[in-house]
Amino acid sequence: MTLYASVRHGLAVTGGRAVLGVVRWRDTFRRPRAHPHLAPPLRSGVRLKELIARHYLKGRTASSAVPVAWVTSGAPVEPLVALGYHVHYPENHGAICGIRRVAEDLCTAAESAGWSRDLCSYARTDLGVVLTGRTPVGRLPRPDLLVCCTNICQTVLGWYQVLAERFGVPMALVDTPFLYGTAPPHALTYVERQIEVLVEAAERAAGRTLDPGRLHAVTRRSKDACTLWREVVDRARHRPSPITAFDTFVHMAPIVEMRGEACTVDYYAALLEELDGRVARGEGALLEEQVRLAWDNLPIWPRMRWLSDRLAARGAALVASPYARAWGELADLIDPERPVASAARVYLHPILNLGIGQRLAALRALARDCQVDGVLLHSDRSCRPWSSGQADIRDRLVREDKIPALLLEADHSDPRAFSEAQASARIDAFLEGLGA
Amino acid sequence: MLPVHHPRALWRAHGYLPVEVWGPPGTDATPAGAHLQPFLCSIPRCGLAFHLAGGLRDVDVVVVPHACDALQGLGSILTDLPPRPLPALTPYLPRATGEVAVAFLAAEIATLSTRLAEGSQRGPTADDLLAAALDEEAADAAFRALLDARPRISLSNAAFYEAVRSREYLPPAEFRAVAEVALAATGPVDGIPVLLSGIVPEPAGLLACLDRHGVRVVADDTACVGRRRYAPGTSTEPFRRMAEALGSGPPDTTRGSPLSERVAYVVALAAQTGARAALLAIPGSCDPELFALPVLRQALEAAGVRTLHLETDLSMPFTAQADTRVEALLESLP
Ligand code: SF4
Ligand code: SF4
Repeated sequence: MTLYASVRHGLAVTGGRAVLGVVRWRDTFRRPRAHPHLAPPLRSGVRLKELIARHYLKGRTASSAVPVAWVTSGAPVEPLVALGYHVHYPENHGAICGIRRVAEDLCTAAESAGWSRDLCSYARTDLGVVLTGRTPVGRLPRPDLLVCCTNICQTVLGWYQVLAERFGVPMALVDTPFLYGTAPPHALTYVERQIEVLVEAAERAAGRTLDPGRLHAVTRRSKDACTLWREVVDRARHRPSPITAFDTFVHMAPIVEMRGEACTVDYYAALLEELDGRVARGEGALLEEQVRLAWDNLPIWPRMRWLSDRLAARGAALVASPYARAWGELADLIDPERPVASAARVYLHPILNLGIGQRLAALRALARDCQVDGVLLHSDRSCRPWSSGQADIRDRLVREDKIPALLLEADHSDPRAFSEAQASARIDAFLEGLGA
Repeated sequence: MLPVHHPRALWRAHGYLPVEVWGPPGTDATPAGAHLQPFLCSIPRCGLAFHLAGGLRDVDVVVVPHACDALQGLGSILTDLPPRPLPALTPYLPRATGEVAVAFLAAEIATLSTRLAEGSQRGPTADDLLAAALDEEAADAAFRALLDARPRISLSNAAFYEAVRSREYLPPAEFRAVAEVALAATGPVDGIPVLLSGIVPEPAGLLACLDRHGVRVVADDTACVGRRRYAPGTSTEPFRRMAEALGSGPPDTTRGSPLSERVAYVVALAAQTGARAALLAIPGSCDPELFALPVLRQALEAAGVRTLHLETDLSMPFTAQADTRVEALLESLP
């Protein structure tokens, strides 16, 4: 860390904060464009935009000013936040690239360098960013440490090993055995020991010692934010639903990349209040909610608006998704009094680390609680762990639960794996079957 | 047994006959399409199709070790929503290293042992388990000797791999006998020395192609063969000993070995054996291999070893196009 970099970072963050505050103030008074089928966007979206912009702005000047870690989305991040790291999430950045429609170019750059088109498009996007330096957020900070947790997939391990090679920085691995039920004691011990090693590696890379009081506070904030987030997604149980799954895909950004920060807790408290206002007034996210749907797997980032409009035009409200809910489900397991031991349990149990029997159970519970009329399963060619087993899940939903379900082939970021004509025809036929 | 690493001694101590299924090659994977998307590699799709066609009807238990996201998916389907009932075991292979990984794996093997003993009158004693571990270690020693001697063994590629891969189903003593015969087949050797990497030397047409073109595989770095050169364990506690052995193999993508270690190992292997080219036979969509591929190729090329990436599909025969590409590689060698 250098003095020059720290001063520059401090000035950039303070100045940026002021500018973004003005932008938020301006946007607050801007009248949103009316949509023929959707309610006006959530007002909290303005604050969300500011939070995300602030996060990436901080990242621009973070190198050499504060320690920087690149981490997988399901990594135990609390010790890093407590140590003052700037934490960058390549998957979230990949989603931004998908939404801004630059993922294809970045994927192509990675493919030209030899990485197969069969690999996850988040990984290809990120490798493309590293190779070309191109990003829609201006500039990314160089990592001092990589943290790879396998609780979402093994794909991240191959990906982060390439990053470790490329950047020549240490990679801390938190390997989480795949579970069929709750974690056995030896799996908990295995993960807890690795988190202890992660803390040591993070302390070394940062040149600081972890303050237990700070870790307690950060873990408490993670728990509060996860609890609030669960409340947010659960508001979709109301009819009409005040929030769509599309909203949750966007509003989940802070719970993923700003977990453990005070602004995240405040943000979700405000969002919840806004949703409760909608519920009290009987307002839905759709002007006219005729049928309710659930979504399985990641969103199709580049086509989210298209899909949202298409569904809304027919009165179909996409109200729930296990993907977005995952961040709230583990709130009860987080124990600030035992931050490392409880982190082992928490980070072993995200839905992607559980067998498909549990994924089916989660989808069933969501379908019941949110009273959905049908399920759209995104067969995401990039995400093998989430997509494997979807055909059987669909089959059980249709046969045993009598819930109509449709498998939709696409990719969460790479638009080349999506056929609009085919998807339109399938969605329209499905909605017709539901009477929408 | 599906790929890759599993404690052979454990199954044998419990009286099971472990037989590995790498595909199997040549299986029509279409029936698996109702359960697994075509964007998964051919190994789980062929494995499931084989099961659906009744290929595992005489099997008591199927073991799907956790090697990758694709096998995780297959293991999960067979455990949670089996399209055809068959008990499944899904041991997790730690990607961490050191004592924490050995302790985890030993406990994982102990858990498997308890499951195997459930329902039977009496499971193996600690002495039975240790004896089985020692038997397997002796077979592993023969396996290593066979691989080390490959540059001097006069067998064709197809015959050599038939011998070395009989480790996938033969009991340890019988495998040692096969290895002894193969080891005795020394004589004048010729052919262009190459290193074979990837997951499995399949489809069979691959080895036939190499034999036809006068290529000699002098070094093996496939997950199926060369990356299972296990060293003996040291503990007298049987589960721990099995875990030590399983974690001792060369760097392997399916064990999450650091890329730098893996690249250094493969480059050194090519240098030691005088391989002039490296064939990387990787099933399409194999994430663990495909991440490492560009870095590995670059390092090999920098070391003067020409590389060829062959995308394989175990449900299909080796193609004429792939044959031509091998031929072109050989012609390009200085
Ligand atoms: S494979 Fe799936 S879980 Fe893994 S990084 Fe890609 S999208 Fe995320
Ligand atoms: S070929 Fe690769 S992806 Fe397929 S089962 Fe083997 S390790 Fe997994």
